[in-house]
Amino acid sequence: MLKATLRSFLAHKGRLLLSALAVILSVAFVAGSLIFSDTVSRTFDRLFASTAADVTVTPKETLDETVPSGQTLTLPASLADRLARVQGVAAARAEVDVEGLTVADEDRKSVGPTTGAPTIGTAWNPTERSPVELTSGRAPEGDAQVLIDADTTDSKDVRIGDRLTVIGQEGSFPVEVVGIVTFTTTNPGAALVFFDPATAQTKLLGDPKAATGISVDAAEGVSDTELKRRVADALGSDAGTYELRTAEEQAESDVEQLGGFLDIIKYVMLGFAGVAVLVGVFLIVNTFSMLIAQRTRELGLLRALGADRRQVRRSVLTEAMLLGLVGSTVGLAAGIGLAVGLIELMGLMGMNIKATEMVIGWVTPVTAYVVGLGVTFVAAYLPARRAAGVSPMAALADAEIAEIGRPLRLRAVVGSVVGAAGAAALVGCAVSSRTSSAASLLGLGVLLTLVATVIAGPLLVRPVIRVLGGAFPALFGSVGRMSQRNALRNPRRTGATAAALMVGLALVGGMSVASASMTQSFDEQIDKTLGADFVVQNSNFVPFPREITDKIRDTEGVGLVVRSQFTTIAVRLPDGDRVKTTAAGYEPELDEVANITYAQGDSAAALADGRLAMDKDFAEDHGVRVGNALPVEFQGGRRAELTVGALTDQESAEGFGAQGGIYFGLGTLQKYAPGGQDASVYVNAASGTNADDLRANLEETLDPYPQVQVRDIADYKQLVHDQIAVLLYLVYALLGLAIIIAVLGVVNTLALSVVERTREIGLLRAIGLARRQLRRMIRLESVVIAVFGAVLGLALGLVWGVCTQQVLALQGMTALAIPWGTIVAVVIGSAVVGIVAALLPALRASRMNVLAAIAHE
Amino acid sequence: MSTAAAEHAPSPASADGIAARARGLTKAYGSGETTVLALDAVDVDIARGRFTAVMGPSGSGKSTLMHCLAGLDNVSAGQVWLGDTEITGLKERELTRLRRDRIGFMFQSFNLIPTLNAAENITLPMDIAGKKPDEKWLDQVIDTLGLRDRLKHRPSQLSGGQQQRVACARALASRPELIFADEPTGNLDSRAGLEVLGFLREAVDQLGQTVVMVTHDPGAAAHSDLVLFLGDGRIVDEMARPTAEAVLERMRLFTGGTPQTPGFDVIRSQFDGGPATLEER
Repeated sequence: MLKATLRSFLAHKGRLLLSALAVILSVAFVAGSLIFSDTVSRTFDRLFASTAADVTVTPKETLDETVPSGQTLTLPASLADRLARVQGVAAARAEVDVEGLTVADEDRKSVGPTTGAPTIGTAWNPTERSPVELTSGRAPEGDAQVLIDADTTDSKDVRIGDRLTVIGQEGSFPVEVVGIVTFTTTNPGAALVFFDPATAQTKLLGDPKAATGISVDAAEGVSDTELKRRVADALGSDAGTYELRTAEEQAESDVEQLGGFLDIIKYVMLGFAGVAVLVGVFLIVNTFSMLIAQRTRELGLLRALGADRRQVRRSVLTEAMLLGLVGSTVGLAAGIGLAVGLIELMGLMGMNIKATEMVIGWVTPVTAYVVGLGVTFVAAYLPARRAAGVSPMAALADAEIAEIGRPLRLRAVVGSVVGAAGAAALVGCAVSSRTSSAASLLGLGVLLTLVATVIAGPLLVRPVIRVLGGAFPALFGSVGRMSQRNALRNPRRTGATAAALMVGLALVGGMSVASASMTQSFDEQIDKTLGADFVVQNSNFVPFPREITDKIRDTEGVGLVVRSQFTTIAVRLPDGDRVKTTAAGYEPELDEVANITYAQGDSAAALADGRLAMDKDFAEDHGVRVGNALPVEFQGGRRAELTVGALTDQESAEGFGAQGGIYFGLGTLQKYAPGGQDASVYVNAASGTNADDLRANLEETLDPYPQVQVRDIADYKQLVHDQIAVLLYLVYALLGLAIIIAVLGVVNTLALSVVERTREIGLLRAIGLARRQLRRMIRLESVVIAVFGAVLGLALGLVWGVCTQQVLALQGMTALAIPWGTIVAVVIGSAVVGIVAALLPALRASRMNVLAAIAHE
Repeated sequence: MSTAAAEHAPSPASADGIAARARGLTKAYGSGETTVLALDAVDVDIARGRFTAVMGPSGSGKSTLMHCLAGLDNVSAGQVWLGDTEITGLKERELTRLRRDRIGFMFQSFNLIPTLNAAENITLPMDIAGKKPDEKWLDQVIDTLGLRDRLKHRPSQLSGGQQQRVACARALASRPELIFADEPTGNLDSRAGLEVLGFLREAVDQLGQTVVMVTHDPGAAAHSDLVLFLGDGRIVDEMARPTAEAVLERMRLFTGGTPQTPGFDVIRSQFDGGPATLEER
């Protein structure tokens, strides 16, 4: 039996190859993402572990920031001297590390990374643990000399002797590049600028006695943990205001900070793997179903010769496992390639990881084989059962008729029950008023409706394709008629083939509706709330130095400037909840640049000293009333009691990480969280100045500051669009992958149909069907199958998208937008997919020898 | 469809009387020492308006002759004309159009497209050509074959005899110059077979068509005007106004005259090595 299985596997290797591709793609994405993230975290573990001091003392960050405030927490540099005297300490150094610096060249362009990674200003304290070494030039001396890392000098063409401008929180100043340092370890992607320590303190921190951390080296024989304990003892009662970390802890914390970014890559990759698996399952199910339909006689013969059901089933499953094994192995290799590609890509983005240091943990191959074998096993199980059900009589009967003839009643029943449950869940999600329950209902509804559509797909083949291909006979004559009817011939097969395309397009349809709705909602909100002529801010929402705001104020034609900053707070609410969130601080003239609707109170009451405002729904949920005094904890540890001065009634009060829509006066913010930088500045023109002139003036003013841009309302919308577009690009990439696999499925089905209809094709050719017409017939069948999948998928996706929008509406995204352009493009695209998929099968059919085809058995 | 080249060729085909003609028609398979001659310099004229049967034992080349005359297969040497058109040397595309417009086909089995109903099958060659069928002629053909009440049926809803009648109607529908029938009764019971043969006879006598039928059944050959006997790739004999007995008698010569009880079943088992497959080409 095994021999028969192996023979059969090899005999069908062409067809199995297509299924294997689906397995390979899924496994490659899974393995690639695992290898990539293992390699990256190992690399950074090693980097941070080798560069961290034995013990690092930093100011305690009491609240994790989700939105950067621009605040740099400092500690007294004198602490280093104090700690140097502790027993067991070999040396203690005051360190200065300032992120969010901007360094501009003579063309006023930033020399920092273009990837959003920071430019870090650091005091030049070379030790054996420095991640860099001076490779040319000399160490910086005085307040106008810097070193720059070689990766930056290479990519931005900076040379020793170049004059740069450093734009820091405490103002900008000119410097000269006197040396270049080279990373001895992996460069995580940031640009590094080194100053002499005194300059770093005065120019970057604005305080010659401040530092951002103390590095403590242990004397011989003192362990890091022991050293940490001694340092903590030495700090005594002050220890609570500092964060003490051993080298190991410091490395962990650093890796964690990078982790967010790496996690995104990992999840994107796993998303791809998921789509590949999902679509691949359909392809494999279909392939095996077809192989079995094709081999019904052969299987019947095996049964007639005495093979029992179990043996037949096992034979098919063994074949599937062989496929899974081959697919997983090749997929694993492809995954390594993919990881190398990703690492190279990271290299282009400035993160230089060596592909030779690739880490392949035992988890990777195990996961790869589990995924590969699991997918094929699950997908082949049903076909294998069906194969086992083949009666010995089938050896004599006509196989195809039996397969087509099986009623679809069970599918109809199961499909409608699951579909009804899914529809109920979606309706439930649409009417639900709580985000959390609505989201889970949405997930359930999406899953159930997807399953229902897959099950009921073959039932929809007849009605939908009748309509889709309705014009074919009129347009393409008998060729069109035959292709339409060929697509209807085996609804099960057509349904399963289209399902692969359907799944991908449903996801895309849903996500494009959701993102179009988000874009539209943001647009409407911006129109409604933004009243300023111009907004000056950073495209990554990174805060910028005060100096820029001052320059804006002094610009000719500027009437009013309103500053805003963000800070992280934790607020204790009357119902006992402690909510950590991002809050905003505005200058009192807020009403001049924004239109805020208040349920109670007004901007004056909200922005007064010691007051705050929040969203009325949030307030209601937590039992907050106007006049309540709420204990608020600020970054850096200061606490205050702020009185609720106003409640807002905004459609979208809650943005990213900003729960409750809390804001207060800028004065209040600066009092409790000093040292923050402006996140955005709203500018109105002085009376008599037209907007174009003001814009020109502002652009001139901001020319030396590459980190900020002037935007009017239209530009601001564009910025938001661009950010949402990133999500869309991801969707399109997923679409691409889903389509590739779906195309394989269509090719597979067509190829088999062509083989099955060999005699028919021979007859058609004999009575005068030209090759071109034959190709067109197969192409049209392919197109109608692909468009059927697209229509089903998009219809499902639209429903999902509308329901998703209903959930988003609870978060204030009230607008519903359906991207008809995208939808039409996808339908047209699917027709193209059909044409592409038909290329090979059509060629094969048209190359058939007419005589051999007629004689084909 | 006649090409300029064909018109100026030294065509021995006269304008009237001859529907198809072959001169020195040779078809070889394989090469070198393993060469098999399926047709060995055959000269043949198919008379217009006549019913010609081609007989011969398995491997005698009868199907190959039909395929070469119909432009389904290319020849190794020699020339073939359909009417005034020399078809040897035509390109694949021209051959396809020739088959579509000027030749009708019937096969032993699998004659119809399962997805099309009877009416659609009948008009298929014209539909493919994008031509309008001649409605009067079509009605005549459909009525002659008694298919009027079967036009909306799919092949799977028709009996074997009915299917072959539809195939016959299709072959006649475009009023081709020549109809080739390859074992048209091979898959039918004797009653249905007789019916189909009767229709072919009628097509010749009443509709003025030209039919060439390949068969191994002396009873079927007896319906023709002329039987051509093929043996080892050559035309070895011909018989006008044949009867089943005479044809059977002639066929016996191929087996060396072993006395045997006459009967179709015996003949079948003797000459028909299996379905019309490679060995017959």
